[in-house]
Amino acid sequence: MRPKHIVLFVFSCLVLLGGVCVLFPQQSTLFRWPTLGEVFGKPSEVADTLVLADTLETIAIQMSSDSLRLDTIVPNHVPDYSYEPDTVFPQAALAAFYRALRCADTSVVRVVHYGDSQIEEDRMSSSLRRYLQREYGGGGVGLIPLHQTIPTLTLSQRLYMNDVMQTTQQGPKRYMVYGPRSLRRTTNQYGMMGQVAVMNDSLVAGSEDLILKLEPMSSKVATDTYFSRIRVFADTTIHYTTSQLEDSTSSAEIHLSGRGDVYGISLETSMGVMLDNIPMRGCNGNVFTQMDSMQLATYFSETHTALIILQFGGNSIPSAKDESYIRSAVYALRLQVRFLRSCAPNASILFIGPSDMLTSIDGELQTYPLIPYMDHLLSQMARSENIAYFSLYNAMGGRNSMISWQQKGWAGSDGVHFSRCGAEKATDKLIKWMFPN
Amino acid sequence: MDVSELMDFLHYIFSFNSESPLLFTQFYFWAFFAVVYAGFALIMEFGSKQGKTAKARLHMRNVFLMLVSWFFYYKTSGQALAILAFVTCSDWIIAQQIYRTNSTQKHWAANLWLLLSVLIDLSFLCYFKYAYFGVDVVNSICGTHFSIVDKIILPVGISFYTFQVISYTTDVYRGKVQPVKNLLDFGFYVSFFPQLVAGPIVRASEFIPQLYKPFFLGRRQFGIAVFWILNGLMKKIILSDYLAVNLIDRVFDNPLLFTGFENLFALFAYSLQVYADFSGYTDIAIGVAMLMGFYLPKNFDSPYKSRNPQEFWRRWHQSLSRWLKGYVYIPLGGNRTLLGFKTGKLLASNVNSFLTMLIGGLWHGASWNFVIWGGLNGVGMIISKSWAALKQRLGITDFIGKRRILSKVEDVVAIVLTFTFITFTRLFFRSGSNLDPATQNEVAWRTAKQMMGQIVGAWNSAIIPDFLREYHVVVILFVLGMIIHWLPAHFKRWYRLNFAMMPLWLMAICVTMAVFVAYQFITADMQPFIYFQF
Repeated sequence: MRPKHIVLFVFSCLVLLGGVCVLFPQQSTLFRWPTLGEVFGKPSEVADTLVLADTLETIAIQMSSDSLRLDTIVPNHVPDYSYEPDTVFPQAALAAFYRALRCADTSVVRVVHYGDSQIEEDRMSSSLRRYLQREYGGGGVGLIPLHQTIPTLTLSQRLYMNDVMQTTQQGPKRYMVYGPRSLRRTTNQYGMMGQVAVMNDSLVAGSEDLILKLEPMSSKVATDTYFSRIRVFADTTIHYTTSQLEDSTSSAEIHLSGRGDVYGISLETSMGVMLDNIPMRGCNGNVFTQMDSMQLATYFSETHTALIILQFGGNSIPSAKDESYIRSAVYALRLQVRFLRSCAPNASILFIGPSDMLTSIDGELQTYPLIPYMDHLLSQMARSENIAYFSLYNAMGGRNSMISWQQKGWAGSDGVHFSRCGAEKATDKLIKWMFPN
Repeated sequence: MDVSELMDFLHYIFSFNSESPLLFTQFYFWAFFAVVYAGFALIMEFGSKQGKTAKARLHMRNVFLMLVSWFFYYKTSGQALAILAFVTCSDWIIAQQIYRTNSTQKHWAANLWLLLSVLIDLSFLCYFKYAYFGVDVVNSICGTHFSIVDKIILPVGISFYTFQVISYTTDVYRGKVQPVKNLLDFGFYVSFFPQLVAGPIVRASEFIPQLYKPFFLGRRQFGIAVFWILNGLMKKIILSDYLAVNLIDRVFDNPLLFTGFENLFALFAYSLQVYADFSGYTDIAIGVAMLMGFYLPKNFDSPYKSRNPQEFWRRWHQSLSRWLKGYVYIPLGGNRTLLGFKTGKLLASNVNSFLTMLIGGLWHGASWNFVIWGGLNGVGMIISKSWAALKQRLGITDFIGKRRILSKVEDVVAIVLTFTFITFTRLFFRSGSNLDPATQNEVAWRTAKQMMGQIVGAWNSAIIPDFLREYHVVVILFVLGMIIHWLPAHFKRWYRLNFAMMPLWLMAICVTMAVFVAYQFITADMQPFIYFQF
């Protein structure tokens, strides 16, 4: 073949492809094909979006409670769900917590951080805990489950049953209020963590004596790895002894025997701030009402819980088809807030909304269209329930900010979860917002 | 379009933007190629086909292709073009000196020139690729706290063209090729754009003679070239990018969010992804070069059909394997000597293979993960060779060889085992990829540890049906990809030839349809080719 014939062939192919661009019906939902304008335009407007997201990030810090301007300057297809900023909000809603902090040198202040997979591995919680313990004293990672199925950044847990180390699939039978239905139990007692390990559930295999060995993760040395007290939240039929603790330690061994429920183990100090990281993978936050209110109330009271943080909403987004779905989801969350307030009437409640999350629309990654709407409804719900609301979405920079977070290595390629570094950045913004002075 | 818009457009066309390198999967590349080919055709069709005019035309073609290759490299790697230009000039001059001193029997001088050439080439490579790793190692051993002040950006393709120029000066030193007289011709050999950034690594003796051959492309070769291009595009977009974006990257970013089964599936899928990605790039490079009348060496031969790690490395990234054999394994002593001492054949061969694989690992990336990956491959080769020798000695090989069914079963078991072994070594390969060099050792090791932890300890079979339902497209693509990979070679040749010989109008329609199908799988922004980072 001569080169001129090949040129002809190459250009023929380009012309044919161009012809498809012209003839292809753009309203087709089955297939996709670019228009000529899209082909000859710049590959994407991501670069511009990045600049915009960075700008928005700055604005978000300055105007943390005002999503009005953010949404109005973002070029998106979503209606403008603007609302008036409230200068008193959120301090008023966190008043009980701030009051408790002022007495942290003489008493215990507990923060319980519930959330979805965004806080797994102790992400976000650990940064907030470090800050609070540095400023107000305290130590320890707070509540941990008997059997660690998801490793964390801070603590290594190894469980031995009759001297055999247990994998995550082994160990005592576990029940959870979230996750697959097969994990539910017949009662609604799941403790503060929403999960319970039942020792010697079946005695057929003989008695199960457990040893739990705790060590700090080598990569991290921080106040939260040191504790001076271990409390086991369990039935009275469970007996336990702990290895001799010095004044302050970062590792321990706990021996457990007996038959009954173990709701969690708390590594703490006798004074200062304790912060529990309670991730509920795949959960949309609507599980608290399925838990025993009496038991929860007792635990919240016994542990001096001054702040309950709820970080949910992200798991409702991918399955949301329209605005009515979001309205239902937020309504369900409102019921959870009311339920938790009835269990812990003296505690403040802080709701952290979903982060920016990406989905592919017409082959391009961009924010789920309904996130701004959900963020807006959640903030309205928070105001009417008199709880604090932190808009993670706006703090990140609003629409498409996740792209810029990904570029900086602050978020994973799934366009949903923060990296460790990103979790710290997000928590920094939360801390600045909670403690502006 | 007003003047400012026109200027914006020209700026977009001609300026370097690190966010949008020139990729084979972009329309911009194919528009670029169409324009380049039009220029190429103009040169080739112009004037007489014989005599001085023909020679001048070949020279003009080489210069033209070198200039467009440099433009291509500038669009991909920006100012790193200066390094490419420097290396080209230095190796061209040094090769002349090596040839001159060799021919005047001054072998010591030739040795020195060769040493200088290798030092210059490797110093660029070491600085850009291994500075962080080196500082990390020094700090770990000596307890120091050195750090790299500026952020070092790895020039795209530096590992490939460095090996290519080393092969050139070494071949000149060994007398296998004569030095290229014209600097521009040499520049064309080093920078030929289809293979510049991710290979195949073309040895001087294979490519330089083609610089002086007139253009010839038969009708069947033309069809084969188009086939390779389409094949590469489909592999890259449908298999590699789709699997990566929709599953693999998510799992590797955050292994703890996924069960052991999902981690394991992602690991196997990564094996297919990296093959589809790299061989897809090579297929396109071979096809594009062939359309211009240049033949690049084959780089892959269905590697997952291998029955042992040695065979795998004969089928995988063949140009690198050949390079490592010719310029590392044999100089180390091959199967004859170990560190210059005569030893048993088996010992020398095993140790030298292992060292070669360690260097191969380090070539891929500057972190312990890649060293471990290379080392594991080396250990796999040693075990496999020892097992083969033991089988021979015990008579198992003869016993199985005489029984057809047993022999087939052994083949299948060996292929599955080798694929699984290679897949697990990739745990370290992938964990260390695409990371910030300053933290990659820590992150890579953590990712590998977490994935193994999940695979071993958090299997959770109950989630498998949900996974298959949610990720059914990914699963189907993975299974299809593996089936196509394992199709017999003669069957693949049959459909390749049938495609190549179809009428041109039908071929053009097939091209359009294939691009249309591939476009449906584009899920997000295009992913750069994995081997661009090496």
